[in-house]
Amino acid sequence: MSPSTRMFSLISLPLTLALLGSSGSLRAEEEVRFNRDIRPILSDTCFTCHGPSDKDREAGLRFDIEESAKSELDSGVRAIVPGNLDESELYQRITSTDEYMVMPPADSHKQLKPEQIELLKKWIEQGAKWEDHWSFITPQLPELPVNKTDSWTRNEIDHFILHRLEKEGLTPAGEADKETLIRRVTFDLTGLPPTPQEVDAFLADESPNAYEMLVDRLLNSPHYGEHMARYWLDAARYGDTHGLHLDNKRSMWPYRDWVIKSFNDNMPFDQFTIEQIGGDQLPNPTLSQKVATGFQRCNVTTSEGGSIDEEYIVRYAVDRVETMGTVFLGLTLGCAVCHEHKYDPVTQEEFYQLFAFYNSLTEKAMDGNALLPPPTIKVPSAQDEQQLADLTALIEKLKKDKESLYQDVAYTDPTPDAVAELPQSEEIVIVDDEPLADAVLLGNTGQTWNFVGAPDHPVFSGEKSLHRAGDGMVQQYYEQDKSPITLRAGDRFFVYVYLDPENPPEEVMLQVHTQENQWHHRAYWGANKVDFGKDGTTQRLKLGELPAKGEWVRLEVAAAKIGLKAGAVVDGLAMTQFGGSAYWDKLGILTYGDFQQEGYASQHVWEQIERTLDLSSSLPEDILAAIKVNPADRSPELATKVSHYYLENINPTTRVQFQSVKEQIAAKTKELTDYENNIPATLIMEDMAEPRQTHVLIRGEYDKHGEKVERAVPAALPPLPEGAPVNRLGLAKWLVDRSNPLTARVTVNRYWQKYFGTGLVKTTEDFGSQGEWPSHPELLDWLAVHFMESGWDVKAFQKLIVMSATYRQSSHVTSELHKRDPNNRLLARGPRFRLDAEMIRDNALKIGGLLNEEIGGPSVKPYQPDGLWKVVAYTSSNTANFTKDEGPALYRRSMYTFWKRTSPPPSMTTFDAPSRETCTVKRERTNTPLQALNLLNDTQFVEAARKFAERIMREGGSSTADRVAFGYRWATSRFADEREISILSELYDMNLEEFKNDPSSAEQLLTVGDSPRDEELDPAELAAWTMVANTLLNLDETIVKE
Amino acid sequence: MDLFDEHVLRETRRQFIGRTATGIGTAALASLLNPRLFAETTLPKADGLTGVLPGFHHAPKAKRVIYLFMSGAPSQLDMWDYKPNLQEMFDKDLPDSIRMGQRITTMTSGQSRLPVAPTMFNFQQHGETGTWVSELLPHTAGVVDDLAVIKTVNTEAINHDPAITYIQTGSQLPGRPSLGAWLSYGLGSMNQDLPEFVVLNSTWSAKRDAQALYNRLWGAGFLPSKHQGVALRSTGDPVLYLSNPQGVNSQTRRRMLDSLAALNEKKFEEVGDPEINARISQYEMAFRMQSSVPDLVDIKEEPQHILDLYGPDVHKPGTFAYNCLLARRLAERNVRFTQVFIRGWDQHGSLPRDIRLQCGDIDQACAALVSDLKQRGMLEDTLVVWGGEFGRTVYSQGTLSKDNYGRDHHPRCYTMWMAGAGVKSGITYGETDDFSYNVVKDPVHIHDLNATMLHLLGIDHERLTYRFQGREFRLTDVHGNIVEGLLS
Repeated sequence: MSPSTRMFSLISLPLTLALLGSSGSLRAEEEVRFNRDIRPILSDTCFTCHGPSDKDREAGLRFDIEESAKSELDSGVRAIVPGNLDESELYQRITSTDEYMVMPPADSHKQLKPEQIELLKKWIEQGAKWEDHWSFITPQLPELPVNKTDSWTRNEIDHFILHRLEKEGLTPAGEADKETLIRRVTFDLTGLPPTPQEVDAFLADESPNAYEMLVDRLLNSPHYGEHMARYWLDAARYGDTHGLHLDNKRSMWPYRDWVIKSFNDNMPFDQFTIEQIGGDQLPNPTLSQKVATGFQRCNVTTSEGGSIDEEYIVRYAVDRVETMGTVFLGLTLGCAVCHEHKYDPVTQEEFYQLFAFYNSLTEKAMDGNALLPPPTIKVPSAQDEQQLADLTALIEKLKKDKESLYQDVAYTDPTPDAVAELPQSEEIVIVDDEPLADAVLLGNTGQTWNFVGAPDHPVFSGEKSLHRAGDGMVQQYYEQDKSPITLRAGDRFFVYVYLDPENPPEEVMLQVHTQENQWHHRAYWGANKVDFGKDGTTQRLKLGELPAKGEWVRLEVAAAKIGLKAGAVVDGLAMTQFGGSAYWDKLGILTYGDFQQEGYASQHVWEQIERTLDLSSSLPEDILAAIKVNPADRSPELATKVSHYYLENINPTTRVQFQSVKEQIAAKTKELTDYENNIPATLIMEDMAEPRQTHVLIRGEYDKHGEKVERAVPAALPPLPEGAPVNRLGLAKWLVDRSNPLTARVTVNRYWQKYFGTGLVKTTEDFGSQGEWPSHPELLDWLAVHFMESGWDVKAFQKLIVMSATYRQSSHVTSELHKRDPNNRLLARGPRFRLDAEMIRDNALKIGGLLNEEIGGPSVKPYQPDGLWKVVAYTSSNTANFTKDEGPALYRRSMYTFWKRTSPPPSMTTFDAPSRETCTVKRERTNTPLQALNLLNDTQFVEAARKFAERIMREGGSSTADRVAFGYRWATSRFADEREISILSELYDMNLEEFKNDPSSAEQLLTVGDSPRDEELDPAELAAWTMVANTLLNLDETIVKE
Repeated sequence: MDLFDEHVLRETRRQFIGRTATGIGTAALASLLNPRLFAETTLPKADGLTGVLPGFHHAPKAKRVIYLFMSGAPSQLDMWDYKPNLQEMFDKDLPDSIRMGQRITTMTSGQSRLPVAPTMFNFQQHGETGTWVSELLPHTAGVVDDLAVIKTVNTEAINHDPAITYIQTGSQLPGRPSLGAWLSYGLGSMNQDLPEFVVLNSTWSAKRDAQALYNRLWGAGFLPSKHQGVALRSTGDPVLYLSNPQGVNSQTRRRMLDSLAALNEKKFEEVGDPEINARISQYEMAFRMQSSVPDLVDIKEEPQHILDLYGPDVHKPGTFAYNCLLARRLAERNVRFTQVFIRGWDQHGSLPRDIRLQCGDIDQACAALVSDLKQRGMLEDTLVVWGGEFGRTVYSQGTLSKDNYGRDHHPRCYTMWMAGAGVKSGITYGETDDFSYNVVKDPVHIHDLNATMLHLLGIDHERLTYRFQGREFRLTDVHGNIVEGLLS
């Protein structure tokens, strides 16, 4: 407890008691209420041992259930006997002086305050009336309170606020002046300041609905959606990197665009919820509904080497349940991961029933450090769709053109009976009985190459063979051959291998090293054990099963098959095996030399050549197969197929005719592929066809399976709506069902917090029994019911708040009122608090005329001090090096700043932006010297000051006083008074003198930031104005909403 | 800032606004305002604390901590945990009786065998205590009589990200406050012009890819962000945005701040929000930091024999040696918690090559820091801690030969050391089995380690808590026992 609340508590105000979580005495006539006054004490002090958790319960007593608390215990006593202190064991124990009897016990580190004991006493005396936990009761629309005065009220909100103020003996503040009001509401609805022109227009508008018109204009601004989205993205834990280990880039921004658009389109909140939680499971989901499910893919993920998949599958699902709990239910479900919830009625089993909804994704545990770990979806814009359609149509047309060419080409085989001169194959042996002379020989384990001879060992060719045995991957290989081999078309690698029948390897592999591409070409036979390269590609291609044991077998692979083209320079080969014992002999290349590959004028001759090459042929497999069919036996389709291929690719005369159309098709196809590859994509949700079985995890450990559980919602809350599917979609519908007591309350409370700095329930993230009692419970319920009954109309709800007299109050505060209500929970004045990080920067950019107001799109990288990523990042992470963007991208709104979660943008986190590693529904608001340094010296803010200074000089009139006044107006939306003008005029004059005497300093200051300076303005004057602008951007009033 | 002493502040403000820009020295202003740099309120509590705790839970032994963190997990087998019998086990399989089915990472779980890799480095006994130390650490060997070498530190995490997050925050998942943030929150600051929690990141020499660090390792988690560590940088501004923009000198800045203060003061008089006064004082502190921080990082005044003590690297900003000297200077300036990170210890392969390079980075500086503190009498109330997030396996990962091997992650036992305030000096604590695989005696879980550090700082780890999401959170979660055997 801070000293100030202690002081406050000396003032006897019964109703503020629970509200301030503080101590106080109670007037006798005031009724003690269980939910407001008693449950918080029991929950915090007693539930750990006498609460919902079966495992920790002492004496069979629980205080979360009335029956248990009031019935006879095993020991024969009753904890609470209404109206009877003497028989109430609870009261006897909390007032006991016996160290073995007193509750709570000393080792709990908990202690009851005298005021709390007094409350419990009064409550028992008054009959110990019980209430169910308030937030679990479905809210009903309360009656509007009747107040002594009603001239102040503008809408329903005000009736409730005034009612409380009257009880407290306070009166509301007057309405803020119009300049303050437009500034406040513009920031609150768009995150940006009003321009002086907008302020002027509002001041000039004397119509009675001027303010409402202003509000409507702001609600229809596209910046409204951006501003609302920013809060949501904290809750969604949106980031541009994976957040764990390598922390590589992740493409999530289309989801951010979806959020912005949803707010701008005023999507009802129930639909907003359903699409994000279960959008993919809606009937025939749209692209947009799938993108919405990105909400649940924003959690941090890893691909750290050595991680155990199951452990992370569990962690991700837990994160998703916790986030859903915090954002929609205001419940700390995470408490039940390891054990029964100590405070709220959520058992561990029920946690895993919720977990089961999230336990069947097709997502892999390891994100592969990929930009787009599946499941993902491409998100083409309308323009993209058009472009793709156009290209596809064009390619189709070109293909038709090509088809018609076949008809136009006349061909008869000039030599239909010729016998072709066939290419001759030749084997070049690289290794037989001797190691290579000019290469580096290598091998594991421990030995390089081990030549052995008959009769002790099998030998295929010559005198010796190579023997290798070992565990795991073992091999002999060479590299850096000084006489490398340049591959020719049709070349094949071969080697003979003899597997020890007693101890065969599980796998044999041939690997090729080229000068261009290192060790990236491999073929293997047998089990897939050697973990090199990407499986299923030319980096690791399976050619067959393990060769027969106990005999020499020739392994052969066409170079083309493992991605090697003619011209590649081979300077290394590896004979690799996994485990066991094997002999290797006669490693070499089979080549056909430099035979003619194309340009045969006779189809007949060409076919003979290709048949001879057979395995070495580079023809497509279907064409090669067709050629192998005797011409007489070919179907007309097959004959046409071969003929078309020949005419198009081989015949020297006809293929020229196809060249142009083929090139066009190739070019356009590449264009199409490139275009498709560049279409942005985003992470989405998708369930496996068969759900995974979920178990309770004992102590929350991924490998300690307990009872099997099925999907269900906690028993203390209403059941799934009738007919709802038992999947995420059903869960989403349950969240926004009219009977759900939490979602609407939690949501309106978060909106309230946005405007007033603190929610009606201060613990935005916790509406459970450890959460704080609402400052205005009836108002909260009224708002929640009203919100649902309005069809979850989000814009209408924002309007309701900003139209209230409560919101429109002046924020001036007297010392007395501040002492009475330092955190403005009673709302006898308007809100006044520092802007969020993003708003502070956006405000400076706007004032400086730099703001790029484009909406949506990928994230950008504005100024950031050098080296921040490098100093923490995994060396080879793709976010280890920060490269600043150029041009307009520097000046986008801050919500588009690239968010590397292990090193978030410093000018954001310095002002309390969260790291976005976990769900955040409430930002702290601190006030530190690092913030001062940031605003004084950050390139972004100095540049904004410099451009603001130019605006002042160009548009602010000619006298110093006029210019100061002009600047003040931009920075604060109001007119400066004489004193303010004189302070800054004096500052200007002194700076001007100094910069005139020191022109190089002025020049230096004027080059801070990328944007060019206005060369027409005098540098000394501009520098002096820059310091004035720097002062204006640092004013408390500039960075505060009031 | 609820109890900000408005009267004193306003009087002060009037005095200095009434003068010209150069009329009042910043030192004078500092003494008048007397605010604590990042502190919750300006009124010190019992024991001079400015954090949330009303006073120490018991008399502290340590006033400050310097924590030398070896990110990537250094090999206890090659540096500290001497196992002479292993030499005969070269390339033999790790007995199942030792592994006992414990989980291992998927980097070696696919290996067909787990061959024992004895260290290739020689060990000798050092100091009066005869502590065994590897030849990799000749300088540290010289100060073993001042150290408590703990061989039985253990954790559950087997991968870097969760493990380093765990030892730093008490949880394997992001979101919790770091040790330094807890101290800032609980105890507040002991100085007026420097942060109370400073982080120094070092360059390193190992050639392999280095494991990442994360801002969360010095983050505030759910505590207010002002409790997060301030990372002092070795290039550019030591503290972000510390320097005035080019072309703006200190006098220009002072003049600007005076005007700003005058305007903010005027605003306060009109609207009465005390947060404005808090802001004014934060700007003054920012101005003071503009001279205190450059003074801190300027090591030119250090005498030659001190520079020599830390070794030649001390002249290169950003090296571990330079950072150790800086850590001492921070300790002198009563910064409560300084954490020096050095990466590069994740030696899955080519361990002998890389561990030599890494020990070259740290050995002399570690020893220098301990001796330097000792000769100044500061080791008595400064706690120095050395270690990583877990240990490394006795079996080799990948190719094994007598002079080349790699080691995988090993969470079940590893070595850390502590020295100074309240720690028994010249002891070896805990015993591991012949394979440095399991703890045989006196395990020290990382929660125990953290509980003990808090204990030395005068804090009962069970009573430094923060209510978040309805629950009282603490650094040691629901675990942690003070390791009495380490206390002097």
